[in-house]
Amino acid sequence: MKFLAFTGLALLLLSVESVVVKFLGLEVTRIDVGLALVVFVALRATTVEGAFTAFAAGYLLDAFTGRPTGLYPFLAVLTFLLVRAAGQVVDGRSRGGYALFVAAATFGHALLALFFGWLTARQGGGAGSALAGVPLQVLLSTVAGVALFPLLKRIEPGDHPEPGGLR
Amino acid sequence: MVRFLTRYREPLIVGALLVYPLVSYLSSGHRGREPNFADRLILAISSPVQAACTWAFNGVGRAASGYVALKGAHEEAQECRASLAEAHAAVNALKEAEAENARLKAALGYVEATVDQEIVARVIGLNPTAQFQSIRINRGEDQGVRPGMPVLTPDGVVGQVVRSVGGSADVMLLTDASSRVGAVLQRTRVRATVTGLGDGRRLSLNLVRREEDTRDGDEVVTSGTDGIFPPGLHVGTVHDVGRPAVGMFLTATVKPAVDLARVEEVLVIPVALTLPAAAVTR
Repeated sequence: MKFLAFTGLALLLLSVESVVVKFLGLEVTRIDVGLALVVFVALRATTVEGAFTAFAAGYLLDAFTGRPTGLYPFLAVLTFLLVRAAGQVVDGRSRGGYALFVAAATFGHALLALFFGWLTARQGGGAGSALAGVPLQVLLSTVAGVALFPLLKRIEPGDHPEPGGLR
Repeated sequence: MVRFLTRYREPLIVGALLVYPLVSYLSSGHRGREPNFADRLILAISSPVQAACTWAFNGVGRAASGYVALKGAHEEAQECRASLAEAHAAVNALKEAEAENARLKAALGYVEATVDQEIVARVIGLNPTAQFQSIRINRGEDQGVRPGMPVLTPDGVVGQVVRSVGGSADVMLLTDASSRVGAVLQRTRVRATVTGLGDGRRLSLNLVRREEDTRDGDEVVTSGTDGIFPPGLHVGTVHDVGRPAVGMFLTATVKPAVDLARVEEVLVIPVALTLPAAAVTR
């Protein structure tokens, strides 16, 4: 049920985000609202439910690109696992901690997306020029994540994720 | 086996969720897959939401700027009248050129491919990932939009349709790193290829020999040789021409004729190539 709620919310947020970035006139900067959701489930949900939610958020992002390749579901699940592992060491369940995790995840996700884009594009994929938009993207995604935090907490209050990463 | 699956259920599920899309990505690369049922469902749900948000944002924007726009409306109207008079004169000159063009085409035996009525569409959203530069429009398969169709505005080329489902379609912008357009420099008639740089602002002018007379400010139009865009559409203006010490080709960027970050309405052109008779009749 929570999986469906998160997936529905991700779909709504991505739809709104695609309109907002157009009205803001942003060229290579985006607001990673889907990633804010992935970070949240990585810090609070159970492993299987969180992994499915991350996959769904990535799949939705992939479908929105116009050329779905499978890159974003992969990156979403990878981000989920990395955040979950880091969450064992650093507490990210407070609003501030969560904001830091969203910022770090957005930065890492953007770099990984650029790397994989560069890996498969015919002429470098414009990776260098797209890097310019990453700092603002980190800022906007963190702000969006913090704004969404109370809503996400209502869906998944889970304060006690099972310890030990995948166990 | 059952015990193994039961014991490692979680790692296996998470591993599958991680590996399946990676394999899919590595096998398909940047090309992407054909829209499946899930993709169609997602787009069917999200497109109306995007259209509603666009409508709401436009409404708020119009209300906010309405009063401001009224200031100086009189002066603006006078400027418009003057521009209109100039435009009328230009149209008359173009009519002459069009008639001459038609006579010359008839003499050369050109064949006009059938051009259906162009499809007017509204931009309802931007792709939420920065790696692929694309927009979504509110016309799709149901209205006759097909992948590969060129998309433009009165100012120039916007891009081409890469996916069309139901009532919406995705358009790859000229600035996307995968975008290639056959072009010609209007002043010198030198052929070139214009590619996207992926930064949302600039294009790259490629395959122009360094000895060609190419300058900042030269207009670039489509050549029609790529099989997608009809010839003569405005692509952009040449900037930053450079001639490196080594190499056959000069370097230059092209500023797109259309502000791709703010485009609101577009025209989708159902196949509109003009080919010499000799090229289509063998």
